[in-house]
Amino acid sequence: MTNTRNDALDPTDPVGAWRTMRDANLDAWAKGMATMVNTESFSKALGIQLDTMLAASAPMQKMVSQYMESYLAQASMPSRAEVISLAQRMTNIEMRLDDMDARLDDILFAVRALATVQSPTSVVDAPPAGDATPEPDATPESEEKSAPRRGRKAAGE
Amino acid sequence: MTTAPNSALDPEVLTKRFFEEFDRLTKSSDTFSKLAANRLDIQIGLTPKTVIWSLNKAKLYHFTPVVPPEQRHPVPILLIFALINRPDIFDLRPGNSFVEYLLSQGYDVYMLDWGRPGLEDAHYNFDDYVLEYMPRVVRAAQRHSGKRDFSLVGWCIGAMITTLYATMRPDDGIRNLVLLTAPLDFADKNAGPFNRWLTTEFYNVDELIRQHGNVPGSMIDYGSKMLKPVENFISSYFKLWDNLDNPAVVESYMAMNKWVTDLVDFPGGAFRQWVVEFYRENRLMEGTLKLRGEKVDLRNLRCNFLNVIADKDHIVPTCQSVTIMDKVGTRDKLLLHMRGGHIGMMVGSGANKRVWPQIDGWLKKRSV
Repeated sequence: MTNTRNDALDPTDPVGAWRTMRDANLDAWAKGMATMVNTESFSKALGIQLDTMLAASAPMQKMVSQYMESYLAQASMPSRAEVISLAQRMTNIEMRLDDMDARLDDILFAVRALATVQSPTSVVDAPPAGDATPEPDATPESEEKSAPRRGRKAAGE
Repeated sequence: MTTAPNSALDPEVLTKRFFEEFDRLTKSSDTFSKLAANRLDIQIGLTPKTVIWSLNKAKLYHFTPVVPPEQRHPVPILLIFALINRPDIFDLRPGNSFVEYLLSQGYDVYMLDWGRPGLEDAHYNFDDYVLEYMPRVVRAAQRHSGKRDFSLVGWCIGAMITTLYATMRPDDGIRNLVLLTAPLDFADKNAGPFNRWLTTEFYNVDELIRQHGNVPGSMIDYGSKMLKPVENFISSYFKLWDNLDNPAVVESYMAMNKWVTDLVDFPGGAFRQWVVEFYRENRLMEGTLKLRGEKVDLRNLRCNFLNVIADKDHIVPTCQSVTIMDKVGTRDKLLLHMRGGHIGMMVGSGANKRVWPQIDGWLKKRSV
């Protein structure tokens, strides 16, 4: 098997010898390139290349954007900006819902704690939602605590 | 004077070796054709998990524990990866998965997936991720586990996010903070090509964001590969070719390749901040960083602190990670120098023998 690397050159293995030479060349080339990309002139060239590309694409992008906006307006369809704005509002609503959900959980915990203090035998404390083996005598209320938004199996996993 | 016959030049030996190589070449070609035709697929991130929370594109996963509750550590772990690339690297494949290892050691493990940002997310910056997302993620994990204290593990840009969060919200229940190859200090402008490329005046980050919204994943990937162009564009393919008859190597290559090529855009606002406020102005280390008007003072980082750095990290040079040790407010801190590269340190062949046990050993003592 010539894929087992050995630094010593094996003259009976012409392919291995070629491979050793190839790797030596690549290593030398890699070192040179790594040094080259870490120079000020390369950084400058890279920056200029990007800047040129952006300068070239800007007018085209502007033209396409203007055309699409007028086309979508004529077709009574929402523009990209409007869809983005809508998506952002949805995320804000989602954040508020998440906060409300957490507050609701807090209130439920407080109510349960209060009920436990008033009649210690009537309500059993809920186990943590992540507990793999819930208490056998957990009440249905304790399961409801996390049921609506937790426990989805990872889709496509 | 006569000399002994040189076996190296024996035509029979040479012919035999040539045919051996030819045979190997035939087998390799078969594997290569399957690879080229996408007939060999490999799944990554296979450890069973459940989505327990989601917000916008972000999802919080809980991995199914493999150790009975009474044997588990009472402090759960929350894994945070970078905004670019997928967090599956924490759980690459069975037998080479940090998540799998943590579960077997008795931890309750959560992992955040930031998701793939759309144009509607282009305005998100570190302020949002640290002060809007992270507290909600932590709250969700705390409520699910029923535990207030937890350990945070951040990798790459995820390490920056967890550092900022641990600094700004020290009373949120963070018991332990583990950073993996964390890019934090950008003072040395000659340290690594990224520092040079992004800090040059010719790099027009504002126009890039204006035109693209988010920075395309392909652009980030190209930049990362250009750090070591010969290795990434040429040598790696030769190495694969040399080992095409070795299924273990092929499988390992494919798993890594699948992760590397699963590109995620860098949210525009965060990228701009990353380049300007972190790379160029080094605000975190200079003590001038403000998120939502709130000053970030590293002395407020008071949890137990483990900083793991890789000696051959070409993406985050070690000097970008070590200086934080003198700035944090905690007394329980440890800097761990490990062998390996930016990613290889945690998923390389020696990770499960060298790096993971050290992290586990440190965490175990602080998870009681």
